[in-house]
This record gives sequence, structure tokens and C-alpha cells, in this order.
Amino acid sequence: MIPRILYIPAAIGLALLVLPLAGLLLRVDWAQLPALLLSRAALEPLGLSLATASVSTVLCLLLGVPLAVVIARSKPRTAGWLRAIVTVPLVLPPLVGGIALLLLLGRTGVLGQYLDLAFGLRLPFTTAAVVIAQTFVAMPFLVIAVEGALRTQGTRFERVASTLGAGRGTVFRRITLPLVFPGLVAGTVLSFARALGEFGATALFAGNQAGVTRTMPLAIYTAFNGSGVTTDQAVALSLLLIAVAVIILVLVGGRRTGALA
Amino acid sequence: MTAPGVSSTPAAATDAAPLLSAQLALARGAFTLDVTLHLAAGEVLALLGANGSGKSTVLELLAGLLAPDDGAVLLKGAVLTRAGDGVAVLVAPERRGIGLLGQDALLFPHLSARANVEFAIRVGGASAMPESNPHRDVAIGTAPETGGRYGRDRSAHPFRARSRAAIRAEADAWLARVGLAGRGDALPAELSGGQQQRVALARALAARPRVLLLDEPLAALDAETAPAMRQLIREQLAATATSAILVTHDVVDAVVLADRVAVLQEGRIIDEGTTAAVLEAPRNPFVAALAGVNLVVGTAVDGAILAPDGRLFRVRPADAAALTEPSVAAPGVAAPTSAPAAAVFRPSAVVVQTERPQHASPRNVWQATITGIEPGSGGVRLRTSGNPQVVAEVTAASVAELGLRVGGQVWLSVKATEVSAHRR
Repeated sequence: MIPRILYIPAAIGLALLVLPLAGLLLRVDWAQLPALLLSRAALEPLGLSLATASVSTVLCLLLGVPLAVVIARSKPRTAGWLRAIVTVPLVLPPLVGGIALLLLLGRTGVLGQYLDLAFGLRLPFTTAAVVIAQTFVAMPFLVIAVEGALRTQGTRFERVASTLGAGRGTVFRRITLPLVFPGLVAGTVLSFARALGEFGATALFAGNQAGVTRTMPLAIYTAFNGSGVTTDQAVALSLLLIAVAVIILVLVGGRRTGALA
Repeated sequence: MTAPGVSSTPAAATDAAPLLSAQLALARGAFTLDVTLHLAAGEVLALLGANGSGKSTVLELLAGLLAPDDGAVLLKGAVLTRAGDGVAVLVAPERRGIGLLGQDALLFPHLSARANVEFAIRVGGASAMPESNPHRDVAIGTAPETGGRYGRDRSAHPFRARSRAAIRAEADAWLARVGLAGRGDALPAELSGGQQQRVALARALAARPRVLLLDEPLAALDAETAPAMRQLIREQLAATATSAILVTHDVVDAVVLADRVAVLQEGRIIDEGTTAAVLEAPRNPFVAALAGVNLVVGTAVDGAILAPDGRLFRVRPADAAALTEPSVAAPGVAAPTSAPAAAVFRPSAVVVQTERPQHASPRNVWQATITGIEPGSGGVRLRTSGNPQVVAEVTAASVAELGLRVGGQVWLSVKATEVSAHRR
């Protein structure tokens, strides 16, 4: 039972989300598509994107889950501050994030100059920079999702487990993590998707070097700007990126409902 | 404040040193708690009090989920908690050997009933005492898989790696003991509230706590489910010789489950003693109000309750039948004759007359002397002679009408259907 008037803005909203993608599909040159997709200009960025986004997602899990646990189990005041800090990259334009990363880790950056001096390590314009930029923009999604799940779950089950004699490690492995598994999956999917689509921070901090830092979004941008490739190429790459994203959503979504049934 | 171990007058009327001693002081805003408790091995102590009296706080302090401002908790002489003077100690909950069964079952929702119990078996400490616990060793098996919560007890519980199959068998045995044989694969969400609480009981006992804390374990159950669960807890505590502290506001819980009662009011213990002594003749208006019922502790004879002074209380038919069934988990087996039991009825259910009443319906009728007349919550409370004393609640008008006075002879009657019966 909803007011009928709501259907109108709802339909417009849906159209706004769907029509651009439909327009994209209309522009696809289906005859040329196989050749375009199997070209090196398409497969190289795709491979780089999948690899860097995967590494970024793993980093997000390794760093973000402990961070989420710390926030969820902090006193309300501390948790509020930590949550606000974690959310900043989420609301920050990615370009600003890229500049910030460059200023910190660049060759003359606050931290970067010492990395260069001490280890000869120069992060900008490397594949590692891509991963750092993606992790920077993606981790908040994971932390927020997992922290929310942890907070909703509360500590009641953990307390019961401890009165049964379970140590903290056992409680975390056997009780805490399984209970927030849906949140963990949701956070992981969001992080991966965010990392896969990351453009702004990557462009500034990692650059646009083919085979090294040119991920799918950068390749699409490059193709669209017409530096050597055609708009058709950009459309084909966009289609590929959409397909990958949809496949991941469907796979994970299917597994989630399967796990809950 | 001195440590409880050196307290000069231990409340527990036992010769041996108590299993658990606690002296706890805590201030939280306007609320202050100052409690000394002793629990003997194998004993069940009920902590009776109204909401906000500090009962649950005491349990959290004992379980190590909360630290007191001052005081100590000793278990078998080992310091679990110490605050105030000296070095502060707060042994973590998982290393105390003190289990907790609350009003919510809190079964791990992602694990089946069996897996919940298996979890407890795996992580549970070497806290059971085999010498005082033959039943458990026969029925359930032997030492736990891990070294347990107390390293020094390993000699009593040799490390024995147990197979998955053995742990599974033990979990199934526990489920059978709480009447849930064959339901091991069920997820908590597929079980009723009463069944969940049964699994929670099995899980709590399977962890082999040295002391089990029961925090209003029946409060979340409906009136039909609670009596059977109460009897099940009684059976299983006895069968496993588990020492327990029960927190409740329900006198019936204390009557059925506890050997001793401590009454808590505003953070202080105001009365303490055997369940019958404290509740049958409340020494304090608060305890009387809390009790709010007549309690006849005696023995079950032919589906009725025989009071210490020879009065026989007939009880409602359903309870009379239950008195002859010894086990909730194994119904249909006859109970031993003259088992300890108690009859409970409301003071307002007692009809007071000056002439011997003539009635057709089954009821209990006896003659008594009025020993006290005092204002009650719903009129006037009459104390009457006998062992135990029975309190009747009547209207002020009927006191005047019948010319009731202290020392006067009256006939008292209670319908059998008004009397509930509980095995102890």
C-alpha cells in the first residue's frame, strides 16, 4: 500500500539509471565488437583492472575488517570520531584523494621523499600506486558495511561464547565473523566494484601508462578522447566493464541467497 | 574491606570451605551494591529480588563481565576478581569456569542445535569435578578435548584428543538429556522458544562450568513452557551435580531449584537461609510481599503434598499427575514415592469462615488459630497457626462481619484447583 503518486518519480528515477546504459547498448557496433574486445587495447586494461581490484579488495579485507571491529567495539565517542574519519574518502572527490596521495607518497611528498631516500622506492606511476589509490577509495565501503553489521549484531553472542570458555580468537573466528558474514560479503562486493571503477585518484596518483597503470576506466577515458582509438572502442570497453560488474553481482548475489536459504 | 575468604561468619551452613566466595561492592550513581555470598559445592543458591535490586549486576560481577569497585571473588580459593586494596585482578570470563544461562537462549544463530553444544564441548574448560560428578562421567564421557581453563587441573583431566565423532556423540547425548533427541540438525530459528532454552541449558552444562549462573532462565518463556523447563533445570543440575546461583524474582523458581535463598533488596542481602525457612515464614515485609504466596514445603504423597504438621494439601489435577513423573526428558517413568515437593497458592485463594464449610468440589479444609492481622496489598492479611503458617487475604468488611481477632478459631479452605504443585 503506497501512494500512487510515488510511482511517477520512481519511474523517472529508474529511467535515469537505465536509459544511459540502454543508450550505450544502442551505440555498440556489434559486428566489430569481437575484434574490439579481443584486441590488446581491451584485454590489457581488463587484466590490469581485475588484478589490481582483486589485490585492493584483499587489502581492504585485511586492513578494513580489523578497523571495523575496533570501531564497532570502541566507546561511542571514539567510535563516532573513527567512523567520521573513515567516511571522509567516501565523500571526497576521488581527484582530491589522488592529489592527497601524491602529496603524501609522491617523490617529494611528506612520506614519499623518505621512501625514496631510504629504499629508493618511488610509488607514483606504478601498478602499486594503482592498488593504493583503489584501496584508498574502496576501503570505506567495506569498513562501513562490516562495522554496521558488527554494531547491529552486538556483543551478546560473544559474551555467551566467552562464558562457555571460548578465548577471544575462537570467539572472533567461530562467532563474530560468521555472524557478520552477510555484511562482509556486501562490503567486499562494494569495495571490489568501487576499486574496479576507480578513475580520479588513479589518474592523478598513478598516471595513465599502458600496461602499468592504465586500468579499464582510464582506457575508456583514453579511447573516448580519441588518442589513437575510436569512440567505438570506448563503447566496447564500457560494455565490457559493465558486463564484468554485472557478472560479479550476479555470482555473489546468487551465493548470498544460497547461503541464507 | 576484608577478603571474603577470611570472613568470620560465612553464611553457608557448610563445614567445608565454600566452593565460591564473593564479597562485592559497587556504586553506580545512586545505586550501591554491597553483597557477600558463599556457595558450597553442589549447592544451588537463589538470589531473590525485585527488578533493580542488583541481582543481574551480581551475576555480571561473578562472571567477570564487570569489575567491582571493591571486593573479591574466590573460586576454590583461587582469586578470580580482586579490587580495592592490593593488586587488582580480573580473570577473563573465558578463564573463570563460570557459565551463564540467561533469560534469552542466545543460541548462535548460524550453528545447528548440535553445533551449538559441540562448540561448548570444545571450548569448555576442565571444570567438572569427576569425584563429585559420577553421573556425568558415565553418561556423557570424559575429559574435554582441550587443556581447559585451569592448567593445574590437567592432572585430573588428562589431555585426550577426541574425534569429531566423539564430540558429536556427546552433543547428541546432551540434546537427548534435555528431551531434544533427533533435533540436532535444527537451526535455532527452527526451534520454539522453549526448545531453544533447552538447547541453551545443554550448551551451558556441556561446557562443564564449575559454577553455573542462571539469570531468570524462565522469564522469556510462556506459562505453559516454563514449568517443564524449570523441572528440566532441576533435574539436570542434580544429575550433573552442578553448583549454581539462580537469580529470579519468581518464588516458584527458588522453591523448585534452590537449596538456599538470599533475598536482595536495593543492593543488600536482607535475608538468607534455606528456601523453606526464608519463604514460609518471611521475617520481613519485603520478603513477604516478594513471596506473595503461601508455600507448603513437604513431600509428594499420592499426588498431594504432605505438610510437616501432617496436613495434606490436594493440588490441581494436572500438577498431581506431574508429581508422579520423575523426568521431563523421559516422561512416563514413575517417580519414587514421597519425593520432596511444594504446594503454592495465593493468600486470596484462602477462604476464611467461622463454621466448618460444606462443599462438593475438592478442596483443602482445616481449622486454625489467627496469629496475626495486618494490612495487605489487597485488603487484610491473616496469619494463621500451623507448620507452615498460611496467610489468608480477606476484605476489611469480612474481618468485621466475621468478628475476626487474633487468637480466634477459624476454618480455612482452599480449592484444589487453586493449588499448584512443584517437585523439588
